[in-house]
Amino acid sequence: MIEFLTNFLSTYGFLIVSMTFSAMLALSLYLPLMTGQLSLASPGFYALGGYIAAWMSTELYPPLATGTTFPIPSLFVEMLIAAVACAILALLVGVPALRLRGIYLALATIAFVEVLRVLSLNLDVTGKAIGIFNIPQPFVTKIEYLYISLPMLIVCIIFMYRLERSRVGRAFRALREDELAATAMGINPTYYKVLAFMMGAILAGMVGAVSAHFLNTWNARQGTFDLSILVLAYVIIGGSRTFWGSIVGGMLLTALPEVLRAVAGIQGLPPFLTGFLTEGRLIIYGFLIALGTLFFPQGLITPEFLRRFARPPKASTPTKSKPLQTPST
Amino acid sequence: MKRWFMLLLALVVLVAPILAQDAPPIKIGVAVAQTSNVALLGQEQVIGAQIAGDYFNERGGINGRPIELVFQDTAGDEAGAINAFQTLISEGVVGILGPTLSQQAFSADPIAEQAGVPIIAPSNTARGVPQIGWFISRISAPVAVVAPNAVQAALELDPNIKDVAVFFAQNDAFASSETQTFQSTVTDAGLNLATVQTFQTTDTDFSSQVTNALALNPQLAIISGLAADGGNLVRQLREFGYTGLIIGGNGLNTANIFPVCQALCDGIIIAQAYSYEADSEINQTFRTIYKEAQGKEPPQFSAQAFAGIQVFVEALTELDNTVGLASFDETSDPLGQLRHHLNAQILYGSYDTPLGAVSFLPTGEIVQEQFYVAQIKMNEDGQTGSFIFIR
Repeated sequence: MIEFLTNFLSTYGFLIVSMTFSAMLALSLYLPLMTGQLSLASPGFYALGGYIAAWMSTELYPPLATGTTFPIPSLFVEMLIAAVACAILALLVGVPALRLRGIYLALATIAFVEVLRVLSLNLDVTGKAIGIFNIPQPFVTKIEYLYISLPMLIVCIIFMYRLERSRVGRAFRALREDELAATAMGINPTYYKVLAFMMGAILAGMVGAVSAHFLNTWNARQGTFDLSILVLAYVIIGGSRTFWGSIVGGMLLTALPEVLRAVAGIQGLPPFLTGFLTEGRLIIYGFLIALGTLFFPQGLITPEFLRRFARPPKASTPTKSKPLQTPST
Repeated sequence: MKRWFMLLLALVVLVAPILAQDAPPIKIGVAVAQTSNVALLGQEQVIGAQIAGDYFNERGGINGRPIELVFQDTAGDEAGAINAFQTLISEGVVGILGPTLSQQAFSADPIAEQAGVPIIAPSNTARGVPQIGWFISRISAPVAVVAPNAVQAALELDPNIKDVAVFFAQNDAFASSETQTFQSTVTDAGLNLATVQTFQTTDTDFSSQVTNALALNPQLAIISGLAADGGNLVRQLREFGYTGLIIGGNGLNTANIFPVCQALCDGIIIAQAYSYEADSEINQTFRTIYKEAQGKEPPQFSAQAFAGIQVFVEALTELDNTVGLASFDETSDPLGQLRHHLNAQILYGSYDTPLGAVSFLPTGEIVQEQFYVAQIKMNEDGQTGSFIFIR
């Protein structure tokens, strides 16, 4: 049993931590979406945070003696600096960009991500095309990154839970439902939109900083437009009207390809099935996403879905079929 | 009762194959990009590895014990490479051939280094990959070693070359590192680097770059880009009246440029780490098998993957001959010991592969004796052509 567990953790440790990162990245995109702003910029901040951590740990800090791990307080310093840098950049980008709406804002944020990518391809400090590698490791195994990522995720959940019920959260929601009406009630749209945008940027930057260590290397292929679309899919598939949707969507869609890989590896399956599962793993993945959007157009987790857990079910509420997912804390 | 019977049946089905085998095959992992936008390269590697697996098993595997190739898709990203490596390592492979991209290697190789699993990189050409650790070697010569051969070949074709114009795609990872090698080769050869022009892989109009370059009257043009943009640039250079030699980088090393520059592709010089014409026995065997299955000449990526598997097989055989693979079963950590000794053997040995004679430096860097240069020869229809080896 213990052997099985160690084996499981050494194989899937990386995946489990990746899932928490994806959940937080989805949250970073969900935050501006709370105010009704479709911003795809968070991968850009993720990339920036990663570069800051990668550069600091390889160039700024003294090289580690062999056999020692990267000090965790230094990692926190990197995360802090990444957060500050992303907040400043988000402010600079957010104020002009958030004058745009809908599809135009989405385009502008895609352009922002692209600008950062081209910059990192051309600057010496970002290692140009090859990127920065040999990033020192704060932990010996990948699963230990959970010591950082899990508390981060829990803090995020508590923060989001409080935020959705606070004055700021209600202002966000008012802006999403009807910006004109919200403005008439005295809500400053620019202030709240930029605030949400900055919160998303800070979170993405901090995740990027840890990810740079986690991936061992950082380059211009991280945090590109592809990731923008992927993270958007996390939010849309998970459900874009409650933060639980982003978390579940991020975790589920990150795990799914690897779960399919594991299924294909089960001993004793007929060869044609193993072959199909190995070769067609991503076909099944795409198919499941398509099915998900067809049968859960509002996303897997909706506020109505959550309400069933909030109060004990009354006799009058008809109990529907058993829910597919239970959100985990 | 029936349920118990079914359960028993399932158990028998599951266990029977395990009991039936007396000598389990030795597992070698192959983790390359079978999907994503890198898949065109990864699939050529899969074919090369599969040919090697079948070929060496037919010849008796490791002294009679068969090998089993375990494929895991890395896709094109870093996380995918790590996931594939982790899966293979816990499946108990003795070593891994992969990943496809250098950036993926920087991400996934430290995992294998930590787990003590020998890695042979079939196509990582960036600086610093073998230096990741003792367990990491590569069978793909770095770009800094391959590219200069094209310049040497051009100088042999036209000794009067003095001024060189260099073009590169600024937004492509490989092109922008390759051009550095080309530029330093040009200056080291005592030639005049007349101009360096940049473009984007998405560009279609190169008239300003071409006009700027041709004003300096170069005798050699060197292009680092991808197939579509590189091919268009070649065409426009010729259309603007350039008559000198053209060297293409590795991004142009594909028949996909023929439809782009058509008859004007004729004469492009491209350096190669592999030639299907190399007349060693192993290469001609590989070439025949590949041609029978695919109906065309084998590309470099397939040959490198074949060579990677060959290195694993020959090192394992040598290890079996000297200490015996069974002897590791008596140690406390059979697989770990086997992996460790296998890596030492890989670095120690020398191998006669389709790439020619290769061996490794203690760092894991490949020592390849022979490189090749090919020149594109277009047919009269202007649509089809071939690579003619000139060196």
